[in-house]
Amino acid sequence: MEEPTDLIRSARFRKEREDDWLRLESLATKAETQGLRRMSFGEARDLAALYREATTSLAIAREISLDKGLLLYLEALTARAYLSVYAPQESARGVIARFLRKSGPVAMRKSWFFVLLGFLSMGLGGLAGYLLYFDDPAWFYVLMPGDLAGGRNPDATTGYLRSVIYDDDPSASGLGAFATYLFSHNTRIAIFVFGLGVFLCAPAILLTFYNGLIIGVFVALHVDRGLGWDLFGWLSIHGVTELSAICIACGGGIQLGAAVLFPGQNTRAEALRIAGRDAAKLAIVAALMLVAAALIEGFGRQLIQDRNARLIIGWTIGGLWLMWFVRTGRAQS
Amino acid sequence: MKLRRKPKTPAPDPNVLLPPEGVPLHLAVAGMGARFGAQITDILITVIGAAALVILLAVLDLTSPQTLWAISALLFFILRIPYYVLTELAWNGQTIGKRIMKIKVVSRDGLSLSAHALVVRNLMKEAEIFLPGTLLLTLDAASPIGSLIALGWIIGTLAVPLTNKRRQRLGDMIAGTYVIDLPTPILLKDLAQSVPKPVKDKFVFLSHQLDHYGALELQTLEDLLRAQENRPSMQTDTRNKATLDSVIEKIRNKIGYADKVDPMDRVAFLRAFYNAQRAHLEKKQLFGERRQDKFHANQDEKN
Repeated sequence: MEEPTDLIRSARFRKEREDDWLRLESLATKAETQGLRRMSFGEARDLAALYREATTSLAIAREISLDKGLLLYLEALTARAYLSVYAPQESARGVIARFLRKSGPVAMRKSWFFVLLGFLSMGLGGLAGYLLYFDDPAWFYVLMPGDLAGGRNPDATTGYLRSVIYDDDPSASGLGAFATYLFSHNTRIAIFVFGLGVFLCAPAILLTFYNGLIIGVFVALHVDRGLGWDLFGWLSIHGVTELSAICIACGGGIQLGAAVLFPGQNTRAEALRIAGRDAAKLAIVAALMLVAAALIEGFGRQLIQDRNARLIIGWTIGGLWLMWFVRTGRAQS
Repeated sequence: MKLRRKPKTPAPDPNVLLPPEGVPLHLAVAGMGARFGAQITDILITVIGAAALVILLAVLDLTSPQTLWAISALLFFILRIPYYVLTELAWNGQTIGKRIMKIKVVSRDGLSLSAHALVVRNLMKEAEIFLPGTLLLTLDAASPIGSLIALGWIIGTLAVPLTNKRRQRLGDMIAGTYVIDLPTPILLKDLAQSVPKPVKDKFVFLSHQLDHYGALELQTLEDLLRAQENRPSMQTDTRNKATLDSVIEKIRNKIGYADKVDPMDRVAFLRAFYNAQRAHLEKKQLFGERRQDKFHANQDEKN
């Protein structure tokens, strides 16, 4: 074969490699449209090999060639190939399984302190609300948003309060909708609390505390009427899961906020990134718990009217969550 | 005590990404417009998806109409995060909206995107975009303080990407990702490849004649020649002819090329000059002398 010797060096360089580049281009397009998974072994192997060849070509071309068209092409081709070679290798199912088996509970254990802070802020809020109510029932109106109580306030009769707790026909009274409303309220609170944490800790803690206050006055109202255990059952069946979710979300938020406030040796952005590793997992745990709570609430709360059954179900599920956090994903020793 | 701050190290170019192979790649950071467009598309898709499910529920008549409204709000929320995370995981950093707008999430460290990074950036999207967004929708004139807070929040979160060079949202910062424009490789013909032998012999340039220009002028000439090739109709355009003539005159004066160029040979002359100039400059470059532009001689003196 006759080589065109009159070609300048960079043109010869291109001529020798052009076919490989074109093949790489078609392979990269295939990887992008069909996914690496669908490619044959040979194609996947060629993609990786040709990509490395193209990076070398690019590095050489930057040194020896002044052909702008070629440089731009190689730049774009290498970038495209790079993006398809370094694609996430995990499947969605694998990621979910790994989270459930290991990374979720491990993150919970690692950031136990922040989760504890979350629970503390709600618990203290609850205590404060409870004491305030017995100090003066008028606090109820100050602390409780009107639409959240569903008509349950110090003016309501004990009979009405009881009817809300043990409701036989939810669709007739529209309480099904109210329950869903309550749930979406709590979901929003959880997201809020987590998101607010980033913008410094205080808003997240305050919001959780305020929610504790609401629950506190609410419980106090029922205890005052001698409905304490009944309300406890009503709250337990979904609340154990749902309120824990809010506290955990709050813990995640505090963790992010703490990273911004006290970055230590790192820059703030760096600290935020490190804290995000666990905080994000806390948020997912909270989201999972909220969805579970929605299911329990949707079926359990109105179907199961017995107080003891409610208590048992609620706390058993709470115990299962605790088991998951404490026992799963520990290294075998 | 030193009052002066330490001189900052020059910030790395935001458009450069370093893959593990160690050859830096230029990947342009995506503009806010494209990202906004992708976001709108994705919101539309998730809303339509949720609406379809709600209609299905309504048709099946499983729940009472009162709860349906609450469920639909919930569905939209439950669908949203998994949609973003799973599409970006499956399509390597692209949601459907991003595919349409031809943009893509990449990891700042040059490695492949981790599931964790995708989850984080999309979880934060909830706090950054959707929460203030829904706040804005539910605002009422009765609570001016709430409105002001919501407005401040929205402005704050929207301003974050404008404050850094890689246009990262807060979520991007935590996840260590950013969004790029997908490059499109287009292989153009090599101009130096297709020179017929007789033309090459017709125009001969001497070494000292090629010492005047640098890479910038060469690549400008490349652009001009590519434009000639792409649009054959330009050959007959009188204004184009005038442009070529003036370019040729400039070059001839600069390098001291004595022979007149025949009007029919305008493009052929430029191509021959391009070839010779490129060969010359590339040879210089191989021996370690990079010539950026025609002022290279002055710069050498300065250094």
